Amino acid sequence: MNKAKLSEIAAAAGLPRLSDKYLDQLQMSWASGRELADKLPKDLHWTEELSLTFRLPRPSSDTPKSAP
Amino acid sequence: MSDLAFLSITKAAEHLRAGKLSPVTYTEALLDRIQRLNPRFHAFIRTTPDLAMAAARQAERDMAAGHWRGPLHGVPFALKDIIDWSGLPTTAHSKLLADNIAPSDAVVSARLKAAGAIMMGKLSTHEFAIGGPSFDLPWPPAVNPWGGNHFPGGSSSGSGVALAAGLIPAALGTDTGGSVRNPASLCAIVGMKPTYGLVSRRGVFPLANSLDHVGPMTRNVRDNALLLQVLAGYDGDDPGSADVPIPDYAAGLAAGVNGLRIGLVRHFYTEDCRAHPEQIAALDQAAEVLRSLGARVEEVRLAPLEQYATATRLIICCEAFAIHRHWLATRPDDYGDLARQRILDGAVVSAADYIDALRLRARLTRQTLAAFADIDVALTASNMDPTCPIDDAQACASLYPRQARQPFNITGQPALAMPAGFTQDGLPLSLQLIGHPFAEAMVYRVAEAYERATAWTERHPPGL
Repeated sequence: MNKAKLSEIAAAAGLPRLSDKYLDQLQMSWASGRELADKLPKDLHWTEELSLTFRLPRPSSDTPKSAP
Repeated sequence: MSDLAFLSITKAAEHLRAGKLSPVTYTEALLDRIQRLNPRFHAFIRTTPDLAMAAARQAERDMAAGHWRGPLHGVPFALKDIIDWSGLPTTAHSKLLADNIAPSDAVVSARLKAAGAIMMGKLSTHEFAIGGPSFDLPWPPAVNPWGGNHFPGGSSSGSGVALAAGLIPAALGTDTGGSVRNPASLCAIVGMKPTYGLVSRRGVFPLANSLDHVGPMTRNVRDNALLLQVLAGYDGDDPGSADVPIPDYAAGLAAGVNGLRIGLVRHFYTEDCRAHPEQIAALDQAAEVLRSLGARVEEVRLAPLEQYATATRLIICCEAFAIHRHWLATRPDDYGDLARQRILDGAVVSAADYIDALRLRARLTRQTLAAFADIDVALTASNMDPTCPIDDAQACASLYPRQARQPFNITGQPALAMPAGFTQDGLPLSLQLIGHPFAEAMVYRVAEAYERATAWTERHPPGL
């Protein structure tokens, strides 16, 4: 990958002022990230995502008086 | 008292409470030892002798007045230097935070203070708990007392080294991808990564919030249970904290393993990532020891190690980049090469891949907990290899990924690393025990039975 492309990637990541030395590191990170992403299973589904849910205290009056 | 250097917390507490040992004498002896040995091992990046002596004198006055605060009262300890102690710098072993004075105590520091423990100083870490061992930082990396000039593991490297060298009997570490258990394994001490949420992280510099844990590090199992007892508890200001009852972790230590079901995760170290032959032999021998004590040890299979490692690495680099991106944009020169490289990984991972890593994490957690349905505790490897020379960068880089700790950062289960023997060259071998969520007491029970049967934790580095 050439320096111009790496600089573009760095800028997109919010790192517009990385020197050439650090762009070399970014290139290694790019390769490492691709390698890791390629190892992810291909059948992952959104229903497997964890969700943040609220837990409110259940008021005692919630229980209907006629309930057994 | 002939050997204060390797006195256990348990024994020290007995002697301190009975008035046979003065906290002032104890603290002075360890400060003197730190002064003599730290230039060789670099475990501490800062000692706090004035603070320590003031606390020791206070403990002595308290005890003389009959106010004993518990087993940690008058016992010296130290903190990995990403944990805040009010008024002291928290540097994360980095030039970026060299002047960062903590405005208040971390919750774990406050708990140790309230327990009457004696703060001795701040311990070496890999930079921001991710980049090490490094030689381009303001302080040198800690060196393992086992072997000539060996890597102690990390990132809680100073914690492991200080314990193994007999500088302190208690230390705190943190564990995001194995950083309590790695130095425990390579330094022949005991390190517990508790269940996610059991110990507050407030006042601890984060690496990857969804995987970060604070854990106790000691030289034996009982001491570890005593230290966790002080640390564990709900903190409403840590969003990951769990509001659960805290049991007496030491109460069941002597119950033994007769009739317990132990799952041996052998494929981790024989198929997925084949361990050093002496490490495989040590693990198989550990399984035999537990069988001989009456446990039912049977093999169980979890997902392949590589799946856990993939999810862990993607999540860590993305979450770490989210924390560091401002400094990487404005002060990239102030990082060491290793930390910069590892954190930069998160700059180029796509949001979709991060989400997939979270999906994989949830899947692996469900599968792992299902496999635990029929067992009390699992036994497997921590490190696959003994340690290597610290100045061999390639060997150190190869050593780290050859491990089986990350699965339990992913699932959040409690996991303890402890010694399981030594190589023919005298380097530590290790094992890992894993429990159900919040079942630290059961993990300690199995660990204590194994420890009593083998006595590996009674060995100290030659010449110390």
